Amino acid sequence: MSRQWHTSEAQAARYAAGSLPEPDAWSLERHLESCADCASRVSAAVRATAAGAVLADVRAAVLASAVREVPVSRFARLLWAAGPAVRGAWSAALLVVAGAALLLGQFRGAPEARTLLLALAPVVPVAGVALSYGPHADPLHELAASTPGGGLRLALTRTAGVLAVSLPVLTLTGLLLPASGAPAAAAWLLPGLALTLATLALAPLTGFRTASAVTACGWLCAVLAPSPDEIGARLARCLDGAPAQSAWGAAVALSALLLAARRTAYDRTH
Amino acid sequence: MGGHREKDDGALLRAVAAGDQAALADLYDRHAGWLHARLTRRCADPEVVREVLQDTFVTVWRSAAGHRGAEAGGWLWTIAARRLVDARRAQERTARGAPEAEAAAVPSAEDRVLAGLEYGDVGTALDRISPELREVLRATVVDGLTTRETARLLGIPEGTVKSRARRARTELRAALAQLNPSPLGGPA
Repeated sequence: MSRQWHTSEAQAARYAAGSLPEPDAWSLERHLESCADCASRVSAAVRATAAGAVLADVRAAVLASAVREVPVSRFARLLWAAGPAVRGAWSAALLVVAGAALLLGQFRGAPEARTLLLALAPVVPVAGVALSYGPHADPLHELAASTPGGGLRLALTRTAGVLAVSLPVLTLTGLLLPASGAPAAAAWLLPGLALTLATLALAPLTGFRTASAVTACGWLCAVLAPSPDEIGARLARCLDGAPAQSAWGAAVALSALLLAARRTAYDRTH
Repeated sequence: MGGHREKDDGALLRAVAAGDQAALADLYDRHAGWLHARLTRRCADPEVVREVLQDTFVTVWRSAAGHRGAEAGGWLWTIAARRLVDARRAQERTARGAPEAEAAAVPSAEDRVLAGLEYGDVGTALDRISPELREVLRATVVDGLTTRETARLLGIPEGTVKSRARRARTELRAALAQLNPSPLGGPA
């Protein structure tokens, strides 16, 4: 249907020189999108103009970056996709939290260190999610978000990357701190997951950074304020025992449902 | 130019996805020229055109594996047009932020333009509408940009894009009616 004509050398030359009038140029442009022969002909005509030097320069630059950037396997690309946060400052922040908890454990007695670690841990993946998705995280964001499945799927891939790194590191750190009286080292997992999913569900409405700020501050206020002295007791109430953990499990399920209900919103936000 | 000359675009893209730099060079030689000319018609700044062209092919090198089905030329232009919009936005970010809005659906008179483009019967009609309306039509119809992207590309508010698109449709319909005295209802 679209191959009923081909461009002539003369027309290609006029287009290359920028002197083809608008309607004819549009027609040719649409045609070039689907006809490789005419694309070659017009490109050759453009190379013959003053733009030839620029084209040669860009060609060299593109090939040079192709040499530097050897395409990687699907798995490695997935890891890369999983990670503006994982490969950036967030990883450092994660190590700082874990390291500080260990140091504190050395100097100040274990229950306090583990309590602080558990109070901060649920916020760490939320911060990772905030840094993982959106125009500020990714120079190719607009392109990525506009590809099929680029929106929510990408956000979930990156969240999985953040969780895959933070869950083991923080839980192992907790285990290294002996538990006298503080909640179990894995007690933060469900709250962390619930806050992360809630952030994802909220993000299409407010943007990732605001959503993260809301959930993270909500948690920190609930645990740290009003009197920091009673963190231990308050944290124990939030995390210890089957009722508390079941409540967090319900929160996870609720957030997941909300996210599923709002998944189309991801196609409309950038 | 290598031994890839005979390959069609699909085969070249598969080779690029597999890490074949010679295939990338061939794809560049086939498409970079017209992409450069097309970008130059839409952007007066040669530095921006150059950056966008380079970004486009670097993106192709990274994500050729993600190419599915569509014509390679059309795919390349989609990438280049988006990069151009991004470049424009980066330039204007210092000026002020544009308000958010939803993309408008492409109306039917524009579909007629699209269908008619390759046959030339709309050309004369397009000649009769004013340049700023034509610019909006070009961005939305020929280049397939959304209202929001068009606004960023042309540096005008989205409301203006919409009203110009409406006016362009009306004027185009009038111009087409003058060219074809018979009703436009027939198969386009």
